[in-house]
Amino acid sequence: MNALVIAALLLVLLTFSYQVGWSRSRKLAGNKSQHLHSRPIYHGVLAALFAVLPAMVIIGIWALFSEQVTNSFIVAQLPPETAQLSQMQLQAAIARVKAIASGYGVVGEPSATEVVAAQVFASYQQISFLAVLAAAAAIGAGGLFWAQRRIGPRLRARTEVEIFVRIALMACSAVAIVTTLGIVLSLLSDALRFFSFINPLDFFFGTTWNPRFQSAGTGSAGEYGLLPLLWGTVMISIIAMLVAVPIGLMSAIYLSQYADERVRNVVKPIIEVLAGIPTIVYGFFALVTVGPFFAAAGDAVGIDINATSALTAGVVMGIMIIPFISSLSDDIIAQVPRAMRDGSLGLGATQSETIRNVLLPAALPGIVGAVLLAVSRAIGETMIVVLAAGNSPVLRFNPAEPTSTVTVSIVNQLTGDADFTSPQSLVAFALGLTLFAMTLLLNVMALYIVRKFREQYE
Amino acid sequence: MDMIAGKIKLTSKTVDQSMNPLDVLERETRLSARDVTVHYGDKQALFGISIDIPDRAVTSFIGPSGCGKSTFLRCINRMNDTIEGARVGGSIKLDGDDVYDPNLDVVELRARVGMVFQKPNPFPKSIYENVAYGPKIHGLARSRTDLDEIVVSSLRKAGLFEEVKDRLNEPGTSLSGGQQQRLCIARAIAVGPQVILMDEPCSALDPIATAIIEELIDELRENYTIVIVTHSMQQAARVSQKTAFFHLGKLIEEGVTEDIFTNPEHKQTQDYIMGRIG
Ligand SMILES: Nc1ncnc2c1ncn2[C@@H]1O[C@H](COP(=O)(O)OP(=O)(O)O)[C@@H](O)[C@H]1O
Ligand SMILES: [Mg+2]
Repeated sequence: MNALVIAALLLVLLTFSYQVGWSRSRKLAGNKSQHLHSRPIYHGVLAALFAVLPAMVIIGIWALFSEQVTNSFIVAQLPPETAQLSQMQLQAAIARVKAIASGYGVVGEPSATEVVAAQVFASYQQISFLAVLAAAAAIGAGGLFWAQRRIGPRLRARTEVEIFVRIALMACSAVAIVTTLGIVLSLLSDALRFFSFINPLDFFFGTTWNPRFQSAGTGSAGEYGLLPLLWGTVMISIIAMLVAVPIGLMSAIYLSQYADERVRNVVKPIIEVLAGIPTIVYGFFALVTVGPFFAAAGDAVGIDINATSALTAGVVMGIMIIPFISSLSDDIIAQVPRAMRDGSLGLGATQSETIRNVLLPAALPGIVGAVLLAVSRAIGETMIVVLAAGNSPVLRFNPAEPTSTVTVSIVNQLTGDADFTSPQSLVAFALGLTLFAMTLLLNVMALYIVRKFREQYE
Repeated sequence: MDMIAGKIKLTSKTVDQSMNPLDVLERETRLSARDVTVHYGDKQALFGISIDIPDRAVTSFIGPSGCGKSTFLRCINRMNDTIEGARVGGSIKLDGDDVYDPNLDVVELRARVGMVFQKPNPFPKSIYENVAYGPKIHGLARSRTDLDEIVVSSLRKAGLFEEVKDRLNEPGTSLSGGQQQRLCIARAIAVGPQVILMDEPCSALDPIATAIIEELIDELRENYTIVIVTHSMQQAARVSQKTAFFHLGKLIEEGVTEDIFTNPEHKQTQDYIMGRIG
């Protein structure tokens, strides 16, 4: 309700001030002797900005601080001894008053002081809301008044609006950067806490992963060797790439060089559908269909293949990545200038000779970039490996046996009773940080290579 | 500076036609096209083109842009096959062989009919590899020394060898535009074609590089049948012995270059030459 009222106020302010700015400058423009610097639309937008932004600032400040003000107001209504309560009890007391005020029931009979406090609080709430609304409206009106006084033929409204647009866009990209930074910092600080329990050398070079060796708090923290997990991740990614790169690349070549329009229009969307399947679906596809199939096939030829294994997870992950590789390579091959292809065909090279000798070498850097991006996806992929890799964090080199990955271990460490002071949980942050560093490195490399490739043809 | 001056002087030699213009009429016909039509999807781009192209002479196609010069040129080595939706009708004979005979091998045809494109398009490979590309694909060299020989002689014929002999392993794209275009000519020559098609080969080059290429074309004429598309009438007049004028997908007029430029039969040709259409 309150949110609706605020939105309505802002909307009214917006349209009204836009209208004022627009019509005032229109009137000036009508006066032929004066030449307006900016078109009326810019004056309108500028007036609207002057009115709405200050109002939004007022509402924003209230939203930020109202909680604290409200709480101390409630405490003031309650008997003086409430202030002596512990932080947690105080919060509970405040919550009770709020609940009574809003008409929800509370456990037990509310005391008389509580009921009174709730009544006072309810009216306080209404008044403060109206006050804020009035303040916002007043500030908005003030802004509008000032803005419309500034309107004149020489006012560079267009330039000012442009400045505002630039700031707004900058703020949006700042949000992305700040969140990334925040995530990295929190990962980093928790990882550091983990390293206060476990020697980083034991983590990065340890070959045994056994975090629940003894339950938390009994002294021994367990063993946290990263290598078995890292190896599982690497092995599964390699298998996935062995599946995805040849198939994806060749289907891209077929679609871009051989297939005619009609085939392309049918096949391309179908391949893209693969990309739209949720990874959890791939996961149980691997668990229910592919894994047992591999096990049976292994039996038939006398090889011991486990149903949940690096092989199963890798192959299914490869299938998931095919559309990624094929659509990226398709774009990259399409970027090789047609003149290059024509030059080769014009010399009497066949289509496949042209692809092998000219197109692929020219597109190679871009394709390498695409593959690196795909690898970083494979490394971060979770659902498929949780279900299909077997969850067996032991250093093994046979892909037909179960394994585990960095992502799976993060899931294991954080599900269930996570106590964020024990190394058992904190290790997840160290693992996450490792994963992040790996994918970041791969992405940076890939982007660098792809950019180099683009420059080649500019 | 001296070098440039020298080149310009050399070029001025090519301007005076060393071949008696009437000779062209007595040359054997190497290529003959009859009623060639081309459609791109539903759109017809060429309407019944018939023309004979003489051996060991330069034939130029002129006409306003979009009139179908490139389209016709691409019919000769069947490059239109690589364009989706392009259909070609009529017949084109190269030394009596029907180019569009289903039994004819396109790869072989393109080895006999080389092509140089509007924008220099060397492969992203070394200068050597660019020239060696065609011979390798067609298995023309038995040994490394054979291949070296083909590469060097092709570069020589394209008048590029002296400039690049010390840097054969550098990328072809490191050359200047004019050098790149001569590299593309060398690349075409290396396959041993009889006919060389050139689609506005100088349109991306500066005047000096253009002059060098024109001189080269004049030399190549002695051994190859050359067809050149150009938007520059001066160029057509300088390098070609026979000229064909296209307009809106039709061949309006063809004949000895001198006649076309001094005494055109059709009003449209005259208008184009006078600069009234284009
Ligand atoms: N690949 C193509 N697809 C469709 N239409 C084309 C294609 N190439 C050329 N055309 C059309 O055919 C006509 C002749 O083009 P073109 O042979 O390139 O002319 P020119 O070389 O004389 O400038 C033009 O109208 C052009 O739009
Ligand atoms: Mg053209």
